[in-house]
Amino acid sequence: MSTSPSDWEVVIGLEVHVQLHTRAKVFASSPWGFGKEPNEQVDPVVLGLPGTLPVVNREAVEKSILFGLVVGAEIPERCAWDRKNYFYPDNPKNYQLTQKDFPIVVGGQVEIELPGASRNVMGEHKFIRIHHAHLEEDVGKLSHAGSGSLVDYNRAGVPLLEIVTEPDLRSSAEAEAFLRSLVAMLTQAGVADCDMEKGQLRCDCNVSVRRRGAEKLGTRTETKNLNSISSVRDTVIYETARQIRELEAGRSITQETRGWNAELARGYVLRDKEDAHDYRYFPDPDIPTLKISRQTVTRLAKQVPENLYDRQRRYVEKLGLPYTAASVLVNDRALAEWFELAVAAHPTNPSGIANLVANDLLRDLAASAGAAGSFDQAAPAPVSLASCPIKPAQLAGLVKLTDDGVISKQQAKEVFAEMFKSGQDAAAIVDAKGLRQNSDTGELEKIVQEVIADPAVAKSIAEYRAGNEKAINALKGPIMKRTQGKANPVLIDQLLRKFLA
Amino acid sequence: MAEGFDIDHLAKLARLSLTAEEKALYASQLNQILGHFQALADADLPATIDDARVVDESALRSDEPGPVLGAEAVTRIAPASRDGQISVPRVVDDES
Repeated sequence: MSTSPSDWEVVIGLEVHVQLHTRAKVFASSPWGFGKEPNEQVDPVVLGLPGTLPVVNREAVEKSILFGLVVGAEIPERCAWDRKNYFYPDNPKNYQLTQKDFPIVVGGQVEIELPGASRNVMGEHKFIRIHHAHLEEDVGKLSHAGSGSLVDYNRAGVPLLEIVTEPDLRSSAEAEAFLRSLVAMLTQAGVADCDMEKGQLRCDCNVSVRRRGAEKLGTRTETKNLNSISSVRDTVIYETARQIRELEAGRSITQETRGWNAELARGYVLRDKEDAHDYRYFPDPDIPTLKISRQTVTRLAKQVPENLYDRQRRYVEKLGLPYTAASVLVNDRALAEWFELAVAAHPTNPSGIANLVANDLLRDLAASAGAAGSFDQAAPAPVSLASCPIKPAQLAGLVKLTDDGVISKQQAKEVFAEMFKSGQDAAAIVDAKGLRQNSDTGELEKIVQEVIADPAVAKSIAEYRAGNEKAINALKGPIMKRTQGKANPVLIDQLLRKFLA
Repeated sequence: MAEGFDIDHLAKLARLSLTAEEKALYASQLNQILGHFQALADADLPATIDDARVVDESALRSDEPGPVLGAEAVTRIAPASRDGQISVPRVVDDES
């Protein structure tokens, strides 16, 4: 009997590995960073040479706690490290220091937003629970060359926070939305940079399917080491289809570890490392249990930035922003704060400011940055405001000139372009270019009277006088034309009403 | 199969190849060690966490980068190396 995919429900859980934003490694003082020559960022502690002892990096601990506070998790009074034993050349000590029974973060949740019906419609919101997050060390990097493999230990010992979700995700779109939301939260709080091109965020993706309505979870597979949001999305789509196909053919799903070939867009079974799952965890005797003071938690709680969806709701509900502009602004904390500075300088028209920031400013910033194409389409890189030639108060000044009727919206675009080029104030550009709209009543009165006298508009005048308010707009075009667009629209409206009364 | 463990499995996990004599010897020694742990487990002790192994945040290191060995020193202690990297027998976990 054939069934449709909608008879099945997919259940997804993610393990997200994030390199924390620190200067030194997590248990050693060796520095780390992307793009160094192999094995140049290694010290005796990283290699686990005899006589060395690991000591935990305070910043890595605090960044982990900060993450916990960002997602509303519990920070237990104590956390401890364990040894996870396995033999593999990416691992210099033959064990990885990790946290098994007493992780640094327990619980919490991440709010996600699904795509709406169209770009200007907000999609459904959902909360994805976090099971826990533990602080561990990254492992080295292997590359394969001919008959051998080469090992670079620069990455070994880099602080890695492994964030484990509950199996709450139900589609590839939800997995994608979760990762986008998580990346925004991690970067906005300064916990991690999440640069996927540099391998700073990697994911293991657990997928199972079950008949819709069934309670029991199906057998799951784990696809390891996905290094982009799109790979996670594609893996979920692929693995869901594969498992449904297997089950519908009467076969069963093997619990297995899989890899993902992004180039060929297909998954494959990883050669099972013999007994790889027998890690013989035990408490690491070198690192004592760490007690985390409540003062530290309170201090770090003050660093938690406004949640991006709280910010989005505030922009839409309190500032009256359209969803499209609000959703663009909140994804980038620096951009949102820039916007808020501009609003503080001209509080009466937040939407006008938001539209300029979300459209014109972002477009020009991207263009001036060489329009570097984002590595991961699902997670566009934030633009740099450091080199932005326009200051928030200057943009506010431009919007105010438009609101006061000094220049038209069309002219504002022209002034904006000039501001972006020269960094000058809007008013200075308006004066230099002679863009100030004509507010000379005497001259304008004459033009208005001439236009009214033109038989071509007699019909509109009659309609207006008969009570059709909108008919008056048909008279404004010819007036604007005769003043080369320099007439103040507010004044035109007043004069027309006066003469037609 | 001795009590609670399989000496062949343990030897495999530890990448040790043991002779029959060694297996017998180590199995008996491991049993003795496990016996000591059993004695500890049987002891009537209050259920408190061992505070001697708990430190506060003053035991953490500051996030200050320190010296590194350098690729030459790192590769010198390895049996084989190439281009600043440690050379090992081919390990494959990619599509094959």
